[in-house]
Amino acid sequence: MIKKFFALIMASLLVILAGCGSNQTSSTEKGSTSEKDDKQVVTFWHSMSGVPQETLNSIVEEYNSSQDKVQVNAEFQGTYEESLPKFHSVGGTKDAPTMIQVQEIGSMSMINSGNIEAIQKFIDAENYDMSGLEENIINYYKVDDKFYSMPFNSSTPVMYYNKDAFKKAGLDPEKAPETFEEVEEAGKKIVKSNDQMKGFALQAYGWLFEELLANQGGLLLNNDNGRTDTPTAVEFDNEKGKSIFEWAKRMTDAGTFANYGTNSDNMLSGFLAGDVAMFLQSSASSRDVIDNAPFEVGVAFLPHPEAEERQGVAIGGASLWMSSGKEEAEQNAAWEFMKYLQTPAVQAKWHVGTGYFAINPAAYDEQVVKDAYKEMPQLQVSVQQLQATKPSFATQGALMDMIPAERKIIETALETVYNGGDVDEAFNSAVEQVNAAIEQSNAARGK
Amino acid sequence: MNTESAMPFEYNQVHFEEVKKQQRKKVFLKGLLFLLPSLLLFSIFIFYPMIRTVYLSFFLTNQAGITTVFVGMQNYIDIFTSPIFMKSLTSTFLFVLFTVPGTIIVSLFLAVIANEKIKGIGFFRMIFSSTMGVSVAAASVFWLFLFHPSIGFFNKILVTFGFDKIGWLTNPEWALASVSLSTVWMNIGFTFLIILGGLQSIDSHLYESANIDGAGFLYKLRRITIPMLSPTLFFVVTVSIINAFQTFGQIDMLTKGGPSNETNLIVYSIYREAFVNYQYGTASAQAVVLFIIILIMTVIQFKLGERKVHYQ
Repeated sequence: MIKKFFALIMASLLVILAGCGSNQTSSTEKGSTSEKDDKQVVTFWHSMSGVPQETLNSIVEEYNSSQDKVQVNAEFQGTYEESLPKFHSVGGTKDAPTMIQVQEIGSMSMINSGNIEAIQKFIDAENYDMSGLEENIINYYKVDDKFYSMPFNSSTPVMYYNKDAFKKAGLDPEKAPETFEEVEEAGKKIVKSNDQMKGFALQAYGWLFEELLANQGGLLLNNDNGRTDTPTAVEFDNEKGKSIFEWAKRMTDAGTFANYGTNSDNMLSGFLAGDVAMFLQSSASSRDVIDNAPFEVGVAFLPHPEAEERQGVAIGGASLWMSSGKEEAEQNAAWEFMKYLQTPAVQAKWHVGTGYFAINPAAYDEQVVKDAYKEMPQLQVSVQQLQATKPSFATQGALMDMIPAERKIIETALETVYNGGDVDEAFNSAVEQVNAAIEQSNAARGK
Repeated sequence: MNTESAMPFEYNQVHFEEVKKQQRKKVFLKGLLFLLPSLLLFSIFIFYPMIRTVYLSFFLTNQAGITTVFVGMQNYIDIFTSPIFMKSLTSTFLFVLFTVPGTIIVSLFLAVIANEKIKGIGFFRMIFSSTMGVSVAAASVFWLFLFHPSIGFFNKILVTFGFDKIGWLTNPEWALASVSLSTVWMNIGFTFLIILGGLQSIDSHLYESANIDGAGFLYKLRRITIPMLSPTLFFVVTVSIINAFQTFGQIDMLTKGGPSNETNLIVYSIYREAFVNYQYGTASAQAVVLFIIILIMTVIQFKLGERKVHYQ
């Protein structure tokens, strides 16, 4: 009886092993066929969905058919938040992609992971000239005088507004409100002219808070936003940080504020349905919003409090990272593709197709862009806003690996205020929590 | 008991015991052998990860989840002094309270009416159990549209009848209830199917005898259906409670734990700690707490519930 049982187990183990074995052979076969084609395969993980994904796929296809040495396989790996942990868990193994697109706030966590090859190595190897790129982008991605990753898709937050609603409320549709106070006034007029429409929506989104702070010249973290040394505490615990909460509170009290919580899709569909007249969102949504709105859409600079001067915005978006531990030929192939992505022609297509701005300013001279501007002058706003930005630690953006935690805390605090919570209480508790998160993060690194 | 009657034959007794012991050993080994495949699988996929989780919960980790600093019980102290985690616990218990009884009452009702033998009942049974075929993600997207603050179906209805709009997912007072409502809907299919199965296996003689005695519908429900169904109900309650404690998908899709952490259920909180904040230590500590809670709940259920369950 027992013997029979053993035999059964052994037999089943054999089947399993055989299964594994045949799998392996099939995968090596696959590898050899691709070698026959003499093409170097580059795996590229990205997080673009919707319209940007279509544009990116067509760029990759064009690249693959333009030459016969490199085959780029673009793979969608979920949102930035989903793909980064995936990379961290496979980083350094053979399952890791050759290159991956990582959100700006993931930069520090990528550098700390140790599974990446700073692209400075490739820049030095052939003396590649990076100075052709947008100055603000260079400022953001140059850490300790070194490029770790290749900038790719960058956007800034802008204010979208409903021009038709502005006209109806007796406001000038060509002159968008510039300050917090003007936004409030405009909101009141809009609600007065149409009680079905709210004035303004601010998605509870940490990134928007950071940008509204940067626009006032406020720092998020100490040690110059983490640019000179690892931050040890927050630095937004002042009037500048609080002004954003108070602004939301005043509009909530006046009944002109539309609360969509943390959901950007709801906010967008609310705007398109004529439920709210103004909202803040990344310029990367430009094409989506302009194409889908049944009314005329205006795009304007990010507002700032009257008391503070406009400083401009920090770069949002993502950059491309190179995996370490890959064969040199594979890395070089990925490097070639990275360079291709920042050529003016590709950047022009990218800019027009999505609303991300071109990281290579030469793209703005391309005919595609000029034509698109004639049709959609709104696309220019994010570019102008970026070029009007005053370089400083504030507009360089904060750098630390706990920023995702910070964002969640800020979002929670903002939501508390949207739902009638006390500003001081919500703000102070947020400051406390972010400080605790910074402490824990520093402790976990063993520093 | 045996020892007293076997007293005079002491020698035989010892011998007998020894043989018995050996036999028991053999049976044990045999049993172990039969269990081996599942033990092996369990150790790889359950026991090892569990031990690893407990181990991680005593450390701080870097982003790759590799331990850096030993902190002992600090992670546990931190989560139990954190108002956010305490809120997450309260929300989780409330969520269980909202969803489990709701699901079971609605499914029981549907199952009882679907158990009647009338023409075309198969169609209704299919409809009632259809939510089982809808994935959590698809269902959440569907509910997201219903809950939409401005163009959602619910708010449209409210406005038509002259009520104010409700921020179903953005108002802290409503969010947990809204998520619970959609969860009840999602779980009905499975629960309905199990309960219907239970109903069908009840011996029809019981009803026939009751009919002869002239018992009414409600009387039969109370005295035959519910008692005979109790093992099924017990199973459904246990599984539903465990499921409710482990809810993740609909939270991630509908609210992302918001507004103001109101729907930040414990599994979602673990996910955020581990995969957004990269604090695997804290996340593991929370996971251990969740494990203990579910363990305690299940033990209580078996102790209390089993007494009332009537097995045929």
